[in-house]
Amino acid sequence: MLNSLRMSLKIDYAYSLNSFIYNLRRLPIFKDLITDDLYKSKNLKKVVAFLSTGWAFFKAIFFNLLYFFSIYFLASLINKSHLSLTFIHIYFIFTIIGFFINNRLLNTSKKKYFSIVLFKMDAKEFMESSLVYNLFKYLLLHSFSFLIISFFVKVPLLVIVQLVLLAFFSRITGEALNILFYKRYSYVWLNNYYLYFSILISLLILSFLPLKNIFISSNLIFIVLLIFIIISPFSFRYLVRVKDYKLIFKKLNTKNMALSEQEALSYSRQQMVEVKKKDINISSKRLKNKKGYDLFNTIFFERHREILLRSAKKFSLFLAIIYIVLGFLVLNDANIFRGVNAFFSSNLGWFVLIMYFINRGAIVTQAMFFNCDHAMLRYNFYREPKVLLGLFKKRLKLLIKVNLLPATVMVLGNSLLLYLTLNKEVYAYLVIAFYIITLSIFFSVHYLVIYYLLQPYNSEMQLKKVSYSLVSILTYGVCYYVSTVRLNYLSFGILFIIFTLLYSAISLYLVYKFSPRTFKIN
Amino acid sequence: MIDLSLFLFEKICYNTGKEVINLKLEIINLSKSFSEKEVLKDIDFTFESGKIYGLIGRNGAGKTTFFNSLNEDIDIDSGFFYLEDSYGRNRLDIKDIGYVTSVASVPEFLTAREFLTFFLEINKKEIRCDYYFDLVKIAKEDQDKLLKDYSHGMKEKMQILINIISNPKVLLLDEPLTSLDIVVQEDMKKLLKGLKKDHIIIFSTHILELAMDLCDEIVILNNKKLEKVEKANLNTKKYKDKIISALKDVKNA
Repeated sequence: MLNSLRMSLKIDYAYSLNSFIYNLRRLPIFKDLITDDLYKSKNLKKVVAFLSTGWAFFKAIFFNLLYFFSIYFLASLINKSHLSLTFIHIYFIFTIIGFFINNRLLNTSKKKYFSIVLFKMDAKEFMESSLVYNLFKYLLLHSFSFLIISFFVKVPLLVIVQLVLLAFFSRITGEALNILFYKRYSYVWLNNYYLYFSILISLLILSFLPLKNIFISSNLIFIVLLIFIIISPFSFRYLVRVKDYKLIFKKLNTKNMALSEQEALSYSRQQMVEVKKKDINISSKRLKNKKGYDLFNTIFFERHREILLRSAKKFSLFLAIIYIVLGFLVLNDANIFRGVNAFFSSNLGWFVLIMYFINRGAIVTQAMFFNCDHAMLRYNFYREPKVLLGLFKKRLKLLIKVNLLPATVMVLGNSLLLYLTLNKEVYAYLVIAFYIITLSIFFSVHYLVIYYLLQPYNSEMQLKKVSYSLVSILTYGVCYYVSTVRLNYLSFGILFIIFTLLYSAISLYLVYKFSPRTFKIN
Repeated sequence: MIDLSLFLFEKICYNTGKEVINLKLEIINLSKSFSEKEVLKDIDFTFESGKIYGLIGRNGAGKTTFFNSLNEDIDIDSGFFYLEDSYGRNRLDIKDIGYVTSVASVPEFLTAREFLTFFLEINKKEIRCDYYFDLVKIAKEDQDKLLKDYSHGMKEKMQILINIISNPKVLLLDEPLTSLDIVVQEDMKKLLKGLKKDHIIIFSTHILELAMDLCDEIVILNNKKLEKVEKANLNTKKYKDKIISALKDVKNA
């Protein structure tokens, strides 16, 4: 087992090292400085290895602390006067959420693809070693984070021990449950969105109970811990006894998945290149009177309805929940009431950043490439300027429509909050609504334009262009900057609408002029 | 059966009644390198219609790079491409090129029939899907399946079919045929032979026998250059040896 852990860490290390060098070489200055020889130079590799190990270590600690401080922040938002109890409550609920959704074993990863599919490592040993490794990593990181957070919030030592143990033992059972589910129903339950969201949402609602001064009791924590301690050995035995890990891993970790570079959520990538069963048959009404590219585009949309709309729907639901919770808080807490009121009068810039995260432009253009342009750009008739631009227009309409879904939820949510904070200015409702819609259109134009001007993917569907990543970072930077601007809503709204009109005009001109040359496979 | 289809096929697509047009594809001074690795260097070559050219080179020699350069898929370091037809000599336009890639590219969200109909519609050709499906032997039960569920070879058939119907003056084929079944392979060979008189066909392959059987000229890509291997009066065995020894000749340029 130790040997296989060593091997899998080695593969991980070699992969991250070489991708680090590879990515370094793609940067303009380093391109000429670094040659292929770096891949074989041992000394330099040691330096890079040191840096990359340090980085991985730092990242693990950072994200764990971020997790703890987010809970702390949330706790102080929900119930400041019982901070410690609220913290324990939320940590407990989040651990239970983790029990359901944090399944490392069935999670797809490049490392699994390399280790098990390519290098033919023993899947069971791999599973055992990574399970044990992750469990202990988890134990150490959580103990450490509790140590740090205890400077900010007082949690009795006994409770800390209980909570860490709970996290540890629930993990084992959670993994076993996930595997059991997979073996029984042949799919990872996380992919069942209805099940996933209903569990997630009901647990999330429970984590808000401290608002009403209801907290998880220490007895309940103890009982739940006890249950997990009793079940864990059986879960562990089950995990060790499952024989077909190889098959399971092979099914989940396909080559396409391993090729993905930019996908943070590894499932979504696989699902991106898929036509959902229920989308295969399109009602003839939708295709009536359509011909040529119009028909082509309609079929594309209909067959990928699920993929294109899924994440927009998810975000809309998420937003709706946030607005409802905020509405609830506004009615119950005078501070939040004032905060929301002040927010709408001078902090409209924040919506730029929020829309940046919510807009589905990046995902939809990715789906366009993976499922359509990747193949069609190989045909020269498809690359003719007239065709490209015609399709661009159709797609822009489509993208705007997809993004209008979460935008509409935002408009409704904002109006609700404005109403609840007793805002009586009709202008405010109108300007903010118009502003949100403009914002949504702005991002739709932006993402489609940069997709057409920079087409960043290569034939293996990898993101290849540094310029695309730079533009994405720049976009984020600008959005962040705009979010800090404090202006009254009227000036801000109007200025932004003018800006969007100008931006759209310029960028559409650029697409018309340059995309026939730039829109191709790299 | 196939000859008849071929005859009809040509009638529809190419108006074979017209006089044969002589085409020339001139490549002047083509160079391409990836970071420090030079792949193509000062290539000057002329391809003509009436012949099928077999492009042969060792792994990594740059065959696909050569095709990608012609098809403007990649930026080249230097070079010009001209196409000469009865109207004169002009810069090569990508509209004139059909490119069958080694990994078949088809829009997987469409059924074969939808793809073919769409293609015929936008190219304003008569929509006779069944006829074309017959030609590449795609069975009735597969015609309305999503292309995503097609095997590699069947996707390849669709890709070749579309490229042939679009009737480009220059047809680039990057290692095709290898994943087709033997019957379709034979049909495709006949089809390509039928097309060669008014098309420039460049066909890259690793299978020497296939190249010698199908192609009129063997061109090897070696030491960053294109080089014709003259057959002269050599018999098959000697010609084959000559090609292999030419491929083995690596200069440290």
